[in-house]
Amino acid sequence: MNLAEKILAKASGRRSVEPGEIVIAHVDRLLMHDLSGYLTADVYERKVGRPIPDPERAVMVFDHHFSPPTEKQAEVLKSNREWARKYGITLLDCGNGNLHHAAVRNGFVKPGMIVVGSDSHTPVHGALGALAMALGNDSHAGTVLPYGKAWFKVPETVRIELHGTPRPGTTARDIALWLVGEIGEGELNYAAVEFAGPYIKESPFWDRWLFPLLCVDLGAKCSYVEPDEVTEAFVRTLPGGLSGESPRGDGAGRDAGRVLRYDVGEVVPLVACPPTVGNTKPVPEVAGRPVQWAELGGHGGGRIEDIRAAAEVLAGRKVHPRTRFNIVPSSRQVFAEAAREGLVLALHEAGATWFPPSTGSNQAINMGAMASGEAMISTHSRNFPGRNGSSEAEMYLASATTVAASAVAGEIACHGTKGSPE
Amino acid sequence: MRFEGSCWKFGDNIPTDRLVKSKYVFEPMEVMAKHVLEDLDPDFPLNVQPGDIVVAGKHFGQSSGRAIATKALKATGIGCVVAETFARTFYRNCFEVGLPALEIKGITSLVNGGDRLRVDITTGKVTNVATGKTLSGEPADPFLVEMLNAGGLIALAAQRTELFQ
Repeated sequence: MNLAEKILAKASGRRSVEPGEIVIAHVDRLLMHDLSGYLTADVYERKVGRPIPDPERAVMVFDHHFSPPTEKQAEVLKSNREWARKYGITLLDCGNGNLHHAAVRNGFVKPGMIVVGSDSHTPVHGALGALAMALGNDSHAGTVLPYGKAWFKVPETVRIELHGTPRPGTTARDIALWLVGEIGEGELNYAAVEFAGPYIKESPFWDRWLFPLLCVDLGAKCSYVEPDEVTEAFVRTLPGGLSGESPRGDGAGRDAGRVLRYDVGEVVPLVACPPTVGNTKPVPEVAGRPVQWAELGGHGGGRIEDIRAAAEVLAGRKVHPRTRFNIVPSSRQVFAEAAREGLVLALHEAGATWFPPSTGSNQAINMGAMASGEAMISTHSRNFPGRNGSSEAEMYLASATTVAASAVAGEIACHGTKGSPE
Repeated sequence: MRFEGSCWKFGDNIPTDRLVKSKYVFEPMEVMAKHVLEDLDPDFPLNVQPGDIVVAGKHFGQSSGRAIATKALKATGIGCVVAETFARTFYRNCFEVGLPALEIKGITSLVNGGDRLRVDITTGKVTNVATGKTLSGEPADPFLVEMLNAGGLIALAAQRTELFQ
């Protein structure tokens, strides 16, 4: 069996499961954020209203807000907070970082768990070898909270093997974006996508993270990297460490329905242009598009690796006067690391602006609305028109290196081609 | 489970962000429903009639997995939604909130906006009433049809307590 099948079989008390079967399985963790918690709460209070037997299963993180800008949003946070307190649901309030990063860094996700959540990027936890899937509020309120279970259709497994060595300047995010363009949005609909091959095996944990993240745009139900020594070494650094054995796949994809093989050596730095994530183009093809905003942040961005990359690009340079460069650490832990490494002051003096750990401009709930005709280049995961203010504004997605290079140039630019020396 | 109504046709890869735009997420459902898909067809939320059928292309309902997108679409009064393919969380949410959904390859070339369409969720058959042309797809899983008949997931869990307890 593939890893997804092994985990679903175990959680549904069966010896084996087959793709296409519907099973009812135990859920280990429910992750909610400030935009989904109160909606789940609303359904729960109106339609379910039973006691929650294991409230510690559920974790809520306020990540779209670091401080509510309107009274209405303050009320939403208050109702989230009161509901969490009423049942004893763990709450990480404003300032703790992005939902997924905060959940991992605080030890709420471990290999082999079944993790569910309303956030569509919940499958990112497959980077730790968890089976993580996005469900809707009615599943959370109707079956996960009262019974600790949910229904699942067993997905077929598609294995993506990544071979080769990246070119200089090409990052893991470029490769992940490239795959979305290459394979096509929605083309792996309903599948469990297994990321494997020498490139993945040799990648550090936070680079692996970007692959299950982007699988959502391929249409995948879930995605994972089979836990190995890299996974386990990382999990040992988290609160609670590594408890018990992490599940193992067969390492070879023998039972995968399909195997797709790619050479990452082909990939050049890319920008995903509006209106969708699969609309990827080599940076030079979009270079010169003025950007009023550049941002490190979001589900995949704001990692310490992103902040280091930006500091490298900005060494001896300044942010262009027409561009504001927002830096949003993905967790409190990342902000502390950046502070210890001297990156907070370095980037501040280069003209970047630090924001509290959060999801940053995602959906412009707390920051990041744009006027018509404006553009942002960022490490976010979505570029659909209308998500950041005006439907006439544009969001471009790229690696931290390209984002920082564009912040320096005041327009979309390749690192190493254009800049304003100090 | 059969439906017949006028068709509203939309394209490929439409995200939930265009069903319910970010600026309406804190508004009540009645307000969200008045703005569903307005950027893509301003007439839709204004003139949609109860029982009308939404037809869309590939990967309909991608992006955010929150059920408000399916609830707002249901709140417009449509009978069902037919697409070439759905984003999986959207498809799941449709059945959980009681909005019938059907995947039919080729549906976007079978109908034009305004055509009358006959849809059978249980058999997976769709007919353009004007042209008489018919297409078949994979019918919904019997578990999902049972969920629809119950009135959604929470009603199903209440009716069949043995399922989740």
